Amino acid sequence: MITAVQFRNFKALRSAALRLEPFNLFIGPSGSGKTSFIQALLKLRSLAGLSATPAKELEGQKPQGPQIDFHFAPPLEQVRVTLACTSDDLVCNALAVDHPPGAVGEGQWAEVRQQLRGIRAFLFDHYAMAVPAKRSDSAELASNAANLAAVLAERRARDPEAMAHLAAGFCRILPEFSGLDFRDTGDGRVELLAQLTDGGEALAAEDLSQGTLYLLAILCLAHDPHPPGLICIEEADRGVHPRLLREVRDAFYRLSHPLPGDRAPVQVIATTHSPYLLDLFREHPEEIVMANKQGNAATFERLSDRADLLELMKDTNLGDLWYTGILGGVPGE
Amino acid sequence: MKIALLSESPADEAALRVLVEYVLREPFTQVAPALRARGWPSVEQVLPSVLRHLHFNTDADGLVVVVDSDDSVVHTAEHEAPGYFHPGCRICRLRGVFRRTIKNLPRAHGRDRVLRAVGLCVPAIEAWLLCGRDTSITESAWVEGQASGRPPYSRRELKWRVYGTERPTLSHEMKRAVQEVSRHRGDLRRLENDFPQGFGSLARDLRGWRTALQAGGAPRSTS
Repeated sequence: MITAVQFRNFKALRSAALRLEPFNLFIGPSGSGKTSFIQALLKLRSLAGLSATPAKELEGQKPQGPQIDFHFAPPLEQVRVTLACTSDDLVCNALAVDHPPGAVGEGQWAEVRQQLRGIRAFLFDHYAMAVPAKRSDSAELASNAANLAAVLAERRARDPEAMAHLAAGFCRILPEFSGLDFRDTGDGRVELLAQLTDGGEALAAEDLSQGTLYLLAILCLAHDPHPPGLICIEEADRGVHPRLLREVRDAFYRLSHPLPGDRAPVQVIATTHSPYLLDLFREHPEEIVMANKQGNAATFERLSDRADLLELMKDTNLGDLWYTGILGGVPGE
Repeated sequence: MKIALLSESPADEAALRVLVEYVLREPFTQVAPALRARGWPSVEQVLPSVLRHLHFNTDADGLVVVVDSDDSVVHTAEHEAPGYFHPGCRICRLRGVFRRTIKNLPRAHGRDRVLRAVGLCVPAIEAWLLCGRDTSITESAWVEGQASGRPPYSRRELKWRVYGTERPTLSHEMKRAVQEVSRHRGDLRRLENDFPQGFGSLARDLRGWRTALQAGGAPRSTS
């Protein structure tokens, strides 16, 4: 798990630092660094697949260039990874690693590297999800979830129990449906079908609502028997009725806080603009990250770091507090 | 009897459905769609609109509203004095909203007004769910803790005790809520004893409904 990140001159994140929890919900206006944070994680994933530069070799190179430092949870806390810029480019193009010497340190870095390869980011696209997917494209959910049908069909074949749990959860949340099914379209593709409770008719994915498809994609991740190690989801509330946002939160918690002995926790980074979703974190303000923008510079703040938060929450919902501007994280006007 | 429930979550609503039926000792029909509010301030804000809606657009006999006390002032017997109103007490405030809203409503659907039942979970519904299992969890223990500045338990601890986690799923919450309140079937004395104001007020309000309906019209609220 990544425990902390420090930014210097990375896009709007001129000087920003943030500690991370197993679950993190980012709120804030456009341009406040939410997406930049996710981009930094994706950059980390891609550079972690290449050979690393010893940390000392970065010293003295482009001192004011972008730099991002990552820290990790025990037992890997002695490994520090830095993304930096070694050319005139404005993007980080080098990865430096600092770890204990010898085989132990090498082993720790190898483990961190393995974890970093498990970083995934999602921004669901319901148009893409509505189209039948290639059966062969079923290894893992694509970033836009275009292969949702193939992934779920494969899961039903390989792990029917996991798929049954997913389908049961889907039908409980949306009782107008009684099950999920799949249909081969004859060209190596598979189409997702949702059976209606009344009448037994099955709706093809293209006839399902945007919110229904997004919810299915979130459930697909939450019920994955072998999920990625870190998941980023942009606009987590998109298309979901406010009353059903609790189910979205539960799905994320299923990932980040699994039952003991179930599987390793998945670190979750989600973004939202929904005050209704924010309301659901009253008991866990430590999981909320306020992204603030002042001029062209963005910073992060944990909601739980606000000394007056409990007092503020006595008479107002978190979502309303955010909207008023008291908490920050609002657009400039 | 046709009853509307205004609660903060589907899990609270599931528990309330059971408890209201136990108090009334008869099944009731719930007004659909289920009414929901987003926590305390929202309940107080939406209540006038909810009451007007129920009064004019439905044939609901009564509305049950139950909220968590969180860290607010807990209702006491002194608050029941005629004309008394404690601005920090959520029961007093909700009753005030009822009173102000229904005061000038004309008769509709053959009744003067929608009947009122207000309850307060001290400090959260999980305390009611643990009633009878843990004798240390009572309204008076919480009030004494508030007075001394040392709360006897936190809401997070109560969640742990009921659900085994601080982050229960909604379906697990609903299942546990119904399981726990079902222990009180046929005998609510323990709940009324341990939560004499928060649950007691709700039960007393509900028991007054039968009389009000048999009298052919609901009397105006006085407290």
